[in-house]
Amino acid sequence: MNHTLHIQLSSVEGAVIRALGLIERRGFSLVKCSVSELDGAVRDMEVTVSSTRPGDLLKRQLERLHDVFTVELKPVASTQKQQPGIRPVTRRI
Amino acid sequence: MNVSTQLAPEQQLSGSQILIEALKRNGVTDFFGYPGGTIMPVYDALVGSGLKHYLCRHEQGAALAADGYGRVTRKPGVCMATSGPGATNLVTGIANAFMDSVPMVIITGQVPSALQGTDAFQEVDIFGITLPIVKHSYIVREIADIPRIVDEAFQLAQSGRPGPVLIDLPKDISAGTGTWVDAPPPSLPAAPTADVEALKKASEMLSTARRPLVIAGGGIAISDSVEVFREFISRAGLPVTATLKGLGVMPTDDPSFVGMLGMHGNGAANHAVQNCDLLMVVGARFDDRATGHLAQFAQSARVIHLDIDPAEISKLRKADLAIVSELAPALEGIQPENKARPTWVAQCEAWKKEFAWRYDAPGEGIYAPKLLRDMCRVRPDDMIVTCDVGQHQMWVAQHCKFNDPLEHLSSGGLGTMGYGLPAAIGAKVAKPESTVVCVSGDGSIMMNVQELATLNRYGIDVKILLFDNSALGLVRQWQEIFFEGNYSEVHLDDNPDFAGVARAFGIQARSVKEPEEAASAVEWLLNSEGAAMLHVSIDSMENVWPLVPPGKANHRMMKANPVRGK
Repeated sequence: MNHTLHIQLSSVEGAVIRALGLIERRGFSLVKCSVSELDGAVRDMEVTVSSTRPGDLLKRQLERLHDVFTVELKPVASTQKQQPGIRPVTRRI
Repeated sequence: MNVSTQLAPEQQLSGSQILIEALKRNGVTDFFGYPGGTIMPVYDALVGSGLKHYLCRHEQGAALAADGYGRVTRKPGVCMATSGPGATNLVTGIANAFMDSVPMVIITGQVPSALQGTDAFQEVDIFGITLPIVKHSYIVREIADIPRIVDEAFQLAQSGRPGPVLIDLPKDISAGTGTWVDAPPPSLPAAPTADVEALKKASEMLSTARRPLVIAGGGIAISDSVEVFREFISRAGLPVTATLKGLGVMPTDDPSFVGMLGMHGNGAANHAVQNCDLLMVVGARFDDRATGHLAQFAQSARVIHLDIDPAEISKLRKADLAIVSELAPALEGIQPENKARPTWVAQCEAWKKEFAWRYDAPGEGIYAPKLLRDMCRVRPDDMIVTCDVGQHQMWVAQHCKFNDPLEHLSSGGLGTMGYGLPAAIGAKVAKPESTVVCVSGDGSIMMNVQELATLNRYGIDVKILLFDNSALGLVRQWQEIFFEGNYSEVHLDDNPDFAGVARAFGIQARSVKEPEEAASAVEWLLNSEGAAMLHVSIDSMENVWPLVPPGKANHRMMKANPVRGK
């Protein structure tokens, strides 16, 4: 399923890559991403991600980041099958 | 002495002097590290600063010592290293702290800003490398930012759910000059407080449950909520199990405690979990080593999950009731009726009796579980046990008695072989009055054996209890059970003479292998003056039981065959 998240985050060094890294690492495949600077201190990021995992979990994981100010989750209907390359939800043994 | 009063306004200071001052203002007295090229300005400013630096003999040792220090003090342990290999050697220790929510501040040297991104000598992007394993991180770009960044790093590391915070310090910043710029108090999100309705609902659920059970997790120790938790358990009359990191939250001998759950947990705990109808999880995160097959974990139970971290709620097991809060106020606010549940209590008691540990294993050598049990019978009141990772770690969890979770330092999430000795160094530096025992194995000890030199250099009184089965025992056990005895790279018949190694580092040592020698040898270890190692040879085919096979439900425990070693 696809989820779109609207993220406001600090424009400090590393904030964008920290958020993007978390998204992939937590099992969400990036489908679409745009970043723009709102003002000198804040960046606005909109990402669409695909995963079998719940979007609200990713929202809470992003909200833990010190650089992230707000996260808004907008569910969107999935119009296609799972993106290729998505990390399967498996558990380590 | 308030060093800050020594700073005159507009006084020119090096970035390193400002860093040292900022560390002091955040309460740092002792820290661990290793010097090198790009961090040299800081080591220059360290001389005469009043801060006590412990030179570990590998940066991983420094990071894990900071972890041990951070766990027992609940304040950030601090470690420092140079750029490049110094920084990458810290990575395991940082990941260890991240997985176990340990407050830590890491300071790494970095090549000068102008050389960053040019593949300069000893340049690595440690900021990038550590992004997945830090709570937060900084690259310092202005000398004036140092006080603010250090203040924030310390606050972040120990607030909410603690974790490691890294500060990467380019050499032009540490060697450049500037003035002290007072930082405004860090602005951090307020700690979450429990919803009153949720607390009421939890009270109702606990009051009406027929077979309730509580899982005590590591968060209870981290948040210093042990007394409040015990009071809650006593008032509510609930049975308790614990995760590896929750051991000691309830005293091991407490009647309400059914033992540790999970892969190597006690049968009583695993059966209680699998049969309860309400599971209240406090400061724990449903790790797979605790839950076994997740879909079959506590299948008939509703779940109340209490944690400070909202991202843990329903991450793995859906919570029927989530309470996101600091633990202590929430526990105080949950007021269930203390109902008599004679059938459930009797069942838990019966399981405890059925699965009580046995120490009558056949075999002629020293039985490690018995030695650990006996050690805890003569232990001093104020004892901290640090573990490495492997069979001995599980035996410590099963057979040692703990009266407080901070008596047991174990690498839970990352499972870091080599944790025990440096963690013991950090714990002993933080709590010199405690008896600190590092229980290790012949595989693990070699991972950070160089820290014997640190013990000797500073006269750090750590007791090392080294179980030697001439094998990587837990891997060997898995190969025996799950890989049809196809042993691959697990035999360590060529181990060095460990007692001789210890003596070469200036540490007194004894070796024993006969059961009748064990008691006096342990007494010698605990009462020896200064650091000491007791090297104990044990049966190389001994296994840890019970064992929940990976991916199986927790009640499907494998038990020892009657013939020991099979």
